[in-house]
Amino acid sequence: MSADLRERISTHLGWVSRRLVLVLAASLSTATSVVAAGSESFRNPAVDARLITAENGINPDATSISAGIHLQLGEDWKTYWRSPGEVGLPPSIDWTGSANIEEAEFLWPAPERFTAFGIENFGYHDEVVFPIRIVLSEPGMPVALRARVSLLTCSTVCVPQEFDLSLDLPRASGIDNAAAGLISTYAARVPDDGTDSGIRITSAHLDDAKTALTLTARSDEPFEAPDIFPELGEGTAFGKPDIRMAEGGRLVWARLPVLAAASDPAEFQVTVTDGNRAATLKPALAEDAPAPPFNIAAAVPGLGELAWIAAIAFLGGLILNVMPCVLPVLSIKLSSAIKSGDLSPARIRTGFAVSALGVLAFMWVLAGATIAARGFGLTVGWGLQFQNPIFLAVMLVVLVIFSANLFGLFEIALPSSWQTRLSRAGGGAGYGGDFATGAFAAILATPCSAPFLGTAIAFALAGRAIDIAVIFTALGVGLSLPYLVVAAFPQIVRRLPRPGRWMIVLKIVLGMALAATALWLFWVLSGVAGQTAALWIGLASIGAMALLSAHRIPAGARITGASALAAFAIALSGYLSEADQSAPNAGVDWAEFERSEIARLVSTGQVVFVDVTADWCLTCKANKTLVLDREPVASRLREPSIVAMRADWTRPDESISRYLESFGRYGIPFNAVYGPAAPGGIVLPELLSTEAVLEALSDAGSGRVASKQ
Amino acid sequence: MTSRGRRTFLVVSGLALLYAGFRIVPGLVREDLVFEEIDDPVGFRRLTAGKSSAGFDPFFGLEDQTENNHADAESRVRRNICTTLYGDALGSGEDVPVASFSDYYCPYCRVQTKRLAAMEARPGSGIRIAWHELPLLGETSTLAAKAALAARNQGAYPAFHERLMKSPFQATPEYLQALADDIEIDHERLTADMNGERVLLDLENSAALARIFDFIGTPAMVIGRTVIQGEISERSIQDLVERERAEGWASVCRQT
Repeated sequence: MSADLRERISTHLGWVSRRLVLVLAASLSTATSVVAAGSESFRNPAVDARLITAENGINPDATSISAGIHLQLGEDWKTYWRSPGEVGLPPSIDWTGSANIEEAEFLWPAPERFTAFGIENFGYHDEVVFPIRIVLSEPGMPVALRARVSLLTCSTVCVPQEFDLSLDLPRASGIDNAAAGLISTYAARVPDDGTDSGIRITSAHLDDAKTALTLTARSDEPFEAPDIFPELGEGTAFGKPDIRMAEGGRLVWARLPVLAAASDPAEFQVTVTDGNRAATLKPALAEDAPAPPFNIAAAVPGLGELAWIAAIAFLGGLILNVMPCVLPVLSIKLSSAIKSGDLSPARIRTGFAVSALGVLAFMWVLAGATIAARGFGLTVGWGLQFQNPIFLAVMLVVLVIFSANLFGLFEIALPSSWQTRLSRAGGGAGYGGDFATGAFAAILATPCSAPFLGTAIAFALAGRAIDIAVIFTALGVGLSLPYLVVAAFPQIVRRLPRPGRWMIVLKIVLGMALAATALWLFWVLSGVAGQTAALWIGLASIGAMALLSAHRIPAGARITGASALAAFAIALSGYLSEADQSAPNAGVDWAEFERSEIARLVSTGQVVFVDVTADWCLTCKANKTLVLDREPVASRLREPSIVAMRADWTRPDESISRYLESFGRYGIPFNAVYGPAAPGGIVLPELLSTEAVLEALSDAGSGRVASKQ
Repeated sequence: MTSRGRRTFLVVSGLALLYAGFRIVPGLVREDLVFEEIDDPVGFRRLTAGKSSAGFDPFFGLEDQTENNHADAESRVRRNICTTLYGDALGSGEDVPVASFSDYYCPYCRVQTKRLAAMEARPGSGIRIAWHELPLLGETSTLAAKAALAARNQGAYPAFHERLMKSPFQATPEYLQALADDIEIDHERLTADMNGERVLLDLENSAALARIFDFIGTPAMVIGRTVIQGEISERSIQDLVERERAEGWASVCRQT
């Protein structure tokens, strides 16, 4: 065998042995997680369902496990919440045939609202996990889960489903990270009792005739997109809520029509959701209905409100006519048309009407573009926009820049080639020419009307398609009013005001109005997003304005720089206002778990309470809400002589695992109390009780249990 | 600047037009009616409407029934498929019969039922509707269906229907009493009829039809010889009715 060949074989062998080690390591690592913690899935076009558990097996001494039903719904398919709405059916599970289950607590993540053809339904789409806290009847013994799931799934057709899922958990340890992650994500969406979410209901009222439920909710952290889901037992259904916010989003007032009232209402509870937080609360019903907040911000502008908006837009359009670059165009067009004489008066009138239509057409194009922009996602809800820092920032930037334009700091100009082409095209004969005259007059007016049109567009973005259409139509009618008036009374042409110095004064007055609005928005913004954020946004928009009016810099660079600054301001508003909203964490002040610290603290006479928890651990959450965060335990743990330590095992952590192992534990929840009288620690039962915790805390401090460990 | 400006303008307006096209045009164009002939029962066809109902297990409702009854009911219904399906709606001259299957607890059923009822009420609608109760969603569904059919014995089916479309059905004697008083029917007779032979036979027949036509859920319809699963637009229903009339749906009732 040549040396060369020997070398090749040895390298080959080396490769093989390396592979072997890898394979062995892989099989070892699968050996520690004996089974995948999930059942076979039940699958059809509507849903893909699986039963999962966070634990790969049952740890010795484990009294409970964290499970979940994982549903992946097909496109357009939905399933329902425990209170599905007017009609619908919530999922349910029958555990008959399971082994070693004492109790299974089904948890409902906060629902979303679906409205289709006027029917309100509450439920889930795309994906949901219903976390299930399972209490074992025999701790540490294998578990057989047999779930008969009944589920209603609906797209345009409602398909009830009934299927079996089964999962066996032998005695083993280890966590399935994927399953644990899913369970913890959705467990976090299960509404709490208001402790962590900070949501509370301050009043609730149901009138005697049972026509409407009115309530108010508060939160120190401003609400963003709140929704309200009351429950009053089977047979009672509520319609779409009218939600109004006030006090910078910290107060929510809502009125929900009662669509159907049961003869015997059951226990009343309300679930309030807001983005990622939610709370289910049981308020007492008060005698009187809370009054709506003063700054009424209806979910949708009513007819009266829409009429106001239209009136303001109409007035705005009318004012546009006396703007410096509209009036000259208008008077030239009008007088030349009148003087060109040999047309019959009827023809002239129709001609003007068609010109007015041209103006309207331009406005409708703008409306169409705005609706399209809204469709692309540039949308903010009506009424909620003044609580939305991003909307406020956009408006502020737009107003600052446009008021600068009116002060004459810079000009918005159409390319000159467009101007000439447009004015030439307007001269065509016939109704086509008249129509073009109107449309082009509107376009030619843009250098002056841009500040107002831009503002209108930004405001209109917050509305529905109908609001946008109304705003722009009213603007167009206002702008084309002179044509219509002249069509009716041709002699009025001579009475039109002549262009002159007064126009510049008007421009400045209007600019000041815009600047005042900008100031007001700045004030609102500092209330919503905080002063720092508002200050930065204000500075960025002033910077953008300064850059635009710096005539020495080439136009391209000016515009790019200004847009960059504007974008910066808007991005900032989203970022800063979020940073502002760190929720104050009431309750116990938990210290980070540090195993070596325990002995030191105990030696100084302190009592140490250790809580090992994880986001996916449903029993840990139950312990937290039912015992640890509740009085009298919460205030006891805040006492200076007691140090509360929390170890977060959501992600695998070697030091925590070793700590648990030192007690012969491989799973959580795990709670222990150390103290001068119990340096080795008193281990508490998995399912905590207030008495057990209080007793252990006093025992560890007093010395009565020195013999116990 | 000028040529570049023009190009930008063209590109932007082109994009805007395209977008508008995508948003608006599909709403104007009629949905294409796509059919798939079915082997059993022969002569009928299924509206596929771009969606497939394949992949679902044949479904028998949340409540289990006995297999024997199923087989009996099915063979009985198969002998008179058109009469069971359309009942009185058959043989009314020019009108196209529509069999509607719904459940009081299914969200889209409300939409579909209201829509159908409004269409039928219009003068010259050209349709006659046969209402079937297909309670698939548990006990309360079944109770509501039985009450509706029992109300029909007293000629109060439409009133009952209308009432249930407004509020959820509650499975309590007090509720039934109030409901009976409200729509002015005899409460005693209503509760007696709810478990009467005629009501049970109707439910059995509708369930058998659902199995024969392989319904996966509610709402479902049969218009002429076309089987439709799920809620569809009024426009599509109208198109289908016209098509059934033109193509002579009645041939299917002669075949079976």
